[in-house]
Amino acid sequence: MFGMGAGVAPEDQLDRSQTRRVLRRVLRMAYPFRKTAYVSLGCVVVTTAATLAAPILVRHGIDAGIRANDVYELNLSVGLYLVITALAYGFGRLQYVFLNRTGEAFLRELRLKVFAAMQSQSMAFYDRNKAGVLVARMTADIETMGELIQWGLLQFLASGFLVVLAFAVLFTLSWELTLVVLIVFPVIVIASVKFQRDSNVAYLSVRERVGQNLGTLQEGIAAVRVIQAYAQEDHQIKRFQRSNRSLFDSHVRSIRISTWYFGLVEFSGVVAASLVVGIGGWLVHRDAVSLGTVVAFILLLSSLFDPVQQLSQLYNGVQSAAAALHKLFGILDSEPEIGEAPDAVDLPRRGVLEVNGVTFTYQAGTHPALKQAEIVVRDGERIALVGPTGAGKSTLAKLMARLYDPSIGSVSYGGTDLRRATLASLRERIVVVPQEGFLFNGTIRENVRLARITASDEEVEAALARLGILDHFERLPDGLDTEVRERGSRLSAGERQLVALGRAALVDPAVLVLDEATSNLDPGTEAEVEAALERLMQGRTTIVVAHRLTTVQRADRIVVVDKAQIVEVGSHAELLERNGKYAALARAWEKSHAL
Amino acid sequence: MTGTPLDPDAAAAAKGEAEEQARAQRNLGWHLLWKTLLEQKRALILGVAIGVTWTAAKVAVPQLTKHAIDRGIEQNGPLLAWSVFIAIAGVATGLLTAGRRYLAFRESRWTETLLRERIYAHIQRLHVAYHDKSQTGQLMSRASSDLQQVQQFVVMIPITLSNVAQLVAVTVILSLTDWRLAIVALAPLPFINVASRRFSSRIHPAVLAVQNEQAQLASVVEESVSGVRVVKGLGTEQVQFDKLRKEADDIQRVSLKAAGIRSRFLPAIDLLPSLGLIAVLGYGGHRVINGDMSIGDLVAFNVYLTMLVWPLRNIGMMVALGQRAAAALVRVHEVLSTEPAVKSPEKPRQLPPRTSATQTGAVRFESVHFGYDVDREILRGFDLAIAPGESVALVGATGSGKSTIVRLLLRFYDVTNGRITIDGVDVRRLDLGELRRNVGVVFEDTFLFNDSVRNNIAFSKPDAEQSIVERAARLAGAHDFINQLPDGYDTQIGERGYSLSGGQRQRVAIARAIVADPRVLVLDDATSAVDPSKEHEIRDAMRTVMSGRTTIVVAHRPGTIALADRIVLLDGGVVAAVGQHRDLIESSERYREVLAAWAVRDAESDAADGSGIAETRGSIAAPTGGD
Repeated sequence: MFGMGAGVAPEDQLDRSQTRRVLRRVLRMAYPFRKTAYVSLGCVVVTTAATLAAPILVRHGIDAGIRANDVYELNLSVGLYLVITALAYGFGRLQYVFLNRTGEAFLRELRLKVFAAMQSQSMAFYDRNKAGVLVARMTADIETMGELIQWGLLQFLASGFLVVLAFAVLFTLSWELTLVVLIVFPVIVIASVKFQRDSNVAYLSVRERVGQNLGTLQEGIAAVRVIQAYAQEDHQIKRFQRSNRSLFDSHVRSIRISTWYFGLVEFSGVVAASLVVGIGGWLVHRDAVSLGTVVAFILLLSSLFDPVQQLSQLYNGVQSAAAALHKLFGILDSEPEIGEAPDAVDLPRRGVLEVNGVTFTYQAGTHPALKQAEIVVRDGERIALVGPTGAGKSTLAKLMARLYDPSIGSVSYGGTDLRRATLASLRERIVVVPQEGFLFNGTIRENVRLARITASDEEVEAALARLGILDHFERLPDGLDTEVRERGSRLSAGERQLVALGRAALVDPAVLVLDEATSNLDPGTEAEVEAALERLMQGRTTIVVAHRLTTVQRADRIVVVDKAQIVEVGSHAELLERNGKYAALARAWEKSHAL
Repeated sequence: MTGTPLDPDAAAAAKGEAEEQARAQRNLGWHLLWKTLLEQKRALILGVAIGVTWTAAKVAVPQLTKHAIDRGIEQNGPLLAWSVFIAIAGVATGLLTAGRRYLAFRESRWTETLLRERIYAHIQRLHVAYHDKSQTGQLMSRASSDLQQVQQFVVMIPITLSNVAQLVAVTVILSLTDWRLAIVALAPLPFINVASRRFSSRIHPAVLAVQNEQAQLASVVEESVSGVRVVKGLGTEQVQFDKLRKEADDIQRVSLKAAGIRSRFLPAIDLLPSLGLIAVLGYGGHRVINGDMSIGDLVAFNVYLTMLVWPLRNIGMMVALGQRAAAALVRVHEVLSTEPAVKSPEKPRQLPPRTSATQTGAVRFESVHFGYDVDREILRGFDLAIAPGESVALVGATGSGKSTIVRLLLRFYDVTNGRITIDGVDVRRLDLGELRRNVGVVFEDTFLFNDSVRNNIAFSKPDAEQSIVERAARLAGAHDFINQLPDGYDTQIGERGYSLSGGQRQRVAIARAIVADPRVLVLDDATSAVDPSKEHEIRDAMRTVMSGRTTIVVAHRPGTIALADRIVLLDGGVVAAVGQHRDLIESSERYREVLAAWAVRDAESDAADGSGIAETRGSIAAPTGGD
């Protein structure tokens, strides 16, 4: 089995105590599935024993049957051989079924647990961990284990048993010949261990270069227009050739490692046989062992050597699975940062949104993203947050919706601290509409319904109708049941935003937190989005992270955030009069509008 | 189809034709592999020779064991000599196993490597229209996963050949030893082959189904993670969790299905040889008791039978691998057999030499017609003559064909009617390399390679001296910021390196065009990705580069347009107006409309912030939660 492409990077390798902890925890997690696990273990023991019984029966057939000219004993051996073959087949099937049942149930549990753990984390967790890494945890890392379960675990267990049992059997047959085998056996073990180590290194280098080569390949395809425009095809082809050849070299190095190993294994096997024949024959002459024993030894040799090879190859698989589990446990162990207090209460229907002396730091030890923020938003008031990129206006908006909890200070709605509110009532009262209209796979209807999963079709339609955008979607060929496909590539950016607004309308919250889009929309939908937004904001407290002058001018009050602090608060006219930061900003805006 | 819709003959004929076509395709694919393998024939022949010798050594071992038992042990013969013979055979099989393995794997990797280079080189030379239609991922899998299928097949060729030799040799030896026992012992073995073939063809779709479900789960995770703002904002964690549970259940279901297939076949494949062994013990044992054969033969039979297990399994696998490789080869062949639609002419003409005395760089578009689709023309008789050294700004609404003109000049596409000349020579009569070396373009979306800044600038002349690179960077106004990068000109940039701001990227691109020193410079909307407040920096760079060189500027901001000597307004695929900015603003209403539309876009796309694009912080910037 040279197919298992597992490898462990040095930095992922676990030390002994970590491995022990991981194993212990796996056993704990697997406890609910212990019944099927025991059954599969039992099956493994039976099939392994059957494999070993065969050469013994052959020996019996030769010694007691053939050489003693006893037909009954010969027939007995043949009959028993048939029986154990049938047994081995039956239990062999069962061991596949039960082992996979156990393994897949375990993996399913692991998938659900890890995903649930990820979902219970706050935004801060998602800021810290790259999206790609989180996806890899749920996919590649768990699949590594799946592969191990499908192929490896069975072999690993069976091989272990086989080596131990085979030695026991050999020893009872003839301790002298067992000593002979022990001359060659260590060579295989040492070679296997060295091979396992070297091939891991080679595998990692191949994997790295495959990645590099794919990168160069992708770059060459993506940049083909630039390359052709500058007539640089030949140079780029050479560049690719270099990376491609270096991958080839890496392959060859890895081939060399397996070449000597497999040659050595083959050699050792035959040499062991020659020793058994030579020394065994000598012992037969001296009547120390029977001829049948010698034959049984020759047949048993492969039951000894194959499992050692398999064990060494599987070792990498087991190690990488342990490394993967270690990372997954890391996610399972991270405490959810935004949780529900035990004595949580529902937020009042309406109220004042109050930010009290809030300071917030994304990561301990870094500069605060927001310092000492104070603001009281009246019920139904429209607030525009403005300021340079990175000044902290989005952070302020997110804190007001409890996507984060303040490091110092508090945010409250209707007098209730958001941290003491039930999560359900929080998401019902305060809804965040992010900048980009993010769509999930599914239909438009499903995407809107996402906001309140219990909503009926009529309620979804009514919500869209309230915003005046129901017609727009019903005009599509499949209406609201249009599949959005691949991140909504079927819908325009404007339409995606309309869906996002529809979601908010379905929740019908008291407070809206909007991150205004900076990207361009086509003029047609632009107007539609504007109109829908205006209807959505009607009668609700609204916090807008604003990028457009028109939006700012329509706000009741403007909050200017600069360098992590609220520097100015007031209406458009008031702030212009003050002639401070906002006035400068507004002037810059005006200018960029002018021809 | 007219007439009877269910005409069986016609349907059969159509089906036959499709099959015929598929077969022809497959043959082309195999032919491609054959040609590639011929280039490595020496190593492959050596590999096969080693394989056959290996078979001989391997087959000899049980024979020697038999003689050792019969003559050495049973008859008290020269036991030591036989053991030594076995050991020698051991040395031989060890060496030959190693050689066979090394050659098989090395050569298969070499085939893969060569084919990949051919695909890459071919892709590089394929016309742009081809790339417009094909997806990067598709082309990538031609050069990666498809070639992997081919490699897995090629590696099996020498191994399979020696396996076949082994099969034949063992069958012959066993038949010669005792043909009756041979028939009984070998009877169960063909089933191993049948079973492994069945297994391969059954497990393949099951494995694909598992992968498919895994991909679906990955997409749920992916959307939950990248859409986390929506999930958290609306508190819809449960919805995503339910979706994930469905996918996890699906994976479990299809995995168990695959396990079911494995459980049905694998133990059977493992145990079928035992039936042969039982036959040998039972029937053979009786024959030994009756004195019809020796006990050494019996043991040899045993050993030979176990020896056949792997070859039979491999040959079974080989069929499945061959089918997959054939499909992959067809796809690879499809790419390689696509002819580039835009090619250098057989006998290219030369551009008149550039001397200080004569001015070069005259560009003429003569009633140019062109459309990406046959039924939708973008250019409908575009006429423009640009004098050497003159700079012209192309202005027009989205989709008016400004960028198309640039692409036609570079011969990314060929005009459907009319012609384009540079210094009097039709671009189609020029060698592609010469044409493109003489037209330098700065595209709207700058592509930076994963390479050093220096190599990105020296892109058109990889051997250019540092002084030339620096001069170009200075002219493009890039020298100062490059010096401030961590490793100066050696800083790695691109997707995997240091990320530059939009303005910095454009300046690198302009420097790239300067190094090329073209007769005609094209700036295709080179400033549109740049913050208006930063635009003046690029504009200065552009002004320097344009002086004394024929330049076509595609632009929509007044400041950039003003750099050109002449403005051409493009509307409806033809030249709608020509003149100076001031004149056009007064005389052309369309011109005013176009500029106003662009201005509105610009104003709305710029965030209120004064700091513009993330500047040099880029990839090392703080977590996305910042703002």
